[in-house]
Amino acid sequence: MTSSFSLGLRRLGVSLLIGASATLTGCASFYLDPATRDVSTAEMPKVAQPQPVKLNFEFQTRGAPNSRATEHLQGAVTEQIKASGMFSTLDAAPGGAILDIKLNNIPLNDGSPAAKGFVTGFSLGLVGSSVADGYECKLSYLAPGQTVPIVKLTRHAIHTTLGAANPPPGTVHVDSANEAVLKMTHAIISNALRDLAQDPAFH
Amino acid sequence: MKIIRLLTLAAGLAASLQLTGCANISMSQPKAALETTTALRGTTMAPAAIGKFSLDSSRPADVDKSIGLRGGNSVKSPIDDSFSQYLRESLRVELEAAGLFDAASKTVINGTLTQSEADAAIGTGTAKLGARFVVTRAGSVKYDKEWIVDDSWESSFVGATAIPLAAAHYEGLYRKLTGKLLADPQFQAALAKE
Repeated sequence: MTSSFSLGLRRLGVSLLIGASATLTGCASFYLDPATRDVSTAEMPKVAQPQPVKLNFEFQTRGAPNSRATEHLQGAVTEQIKASGMFSTLDAAPGGAILDIKLNNIPLNDGSPAAKGFVTGFSLGLVGSSVADGYECKLSYLAPGQTVPIVKLTRHAIHTTLGAANPPPGTVHVDSANEAVLKMTHAIISNALRDLAQDPAFH
Repeated sequence: MKIIRLLTLAAGLAASLQLTGCANISMSQPKAALETTTALRGTTMAPAAIGKFSLDSSRPADVDKSIGLRGGNSVKSPIDDSFSQYLRESLRVELEAAGLFDAASKTVINGTLTQSEADAAIGTGTAKLGARFVVTRAGSVKYDKEWIVDDSWESSFVGATAIPLAAAHYEGLYRKLTGKLLADPQFQAALAKE
């Protein structure tokens, strides 16, 4: 019973990071996983002839659409895509190119198959001292007239600790949950964009 | 027990953010599913128009307006406060993304919302969505079929988790339903180029 209760609480807590981002302050601390580093605009491969694209962005929680988080991040994602210089506009005509970005939140401490398959390469802390939220970005680019998209997958994680608990080794402290989410989003998408820009099929 | 304190804190704060009093959750604006777009681009369908979408006249009007989740919480449509109009827009954006929407086309798709429900019950959440689609071309019926899709998921005992998740799964059914319709060979035949 205790085990079941604890598992329930874990599933509850780790699924709520986004929802709590505006209010979690004080004794909770947030850290970005070091496995995924942000790619700056200067580091992004140049695209010789940027073309129009239609941007579709969606934040998901365990694969289901999360309208509130999508709305929260939509502006930042749009600005990031514009700043990348990879596309001329983000309002391609119907039937034109599509850039589809799905950012899926996968709680890593709930023992689910999705969590177990995700954790390799990430800096998980000691059990009982932190919780982690994994994020998987699936970026798909569908060129005009094409039926097979170019797909790039990248991952990231945010760790949360309470009080004086030590963070997982190598993680990068950020000041708030909202900052953690925004920086995670920028980093995970920047890696996917770089991978797309480096793909000869994209050009 | 620190992990439990941590998670309880997160849950409590999230609950205060999301569910102060009664929550009305608005679904996202409809977006095309890339999987559907790629599938449609490989077909020989002609562009179609979208006609009238409405709630089945045998259902109470409230069915089209909102779905109650655990008491005073609800999920609503951002399109005219109407689930049938949300379904219409969901289908339109799917067709448009594939280059198959033409408001002036003589082939017209009409729809009737027949089922719309979601339950954020403790243990297992469930949702169901159904609609009857009719395709006419120059006044002649080319397709008439009802599609029903459903979903179920693990649902928390805490409303702050269970209610948004139920809304998310319910929203996901619109893509599932339009995806079923658009993948139906009979529907594709009804929209085939003449």
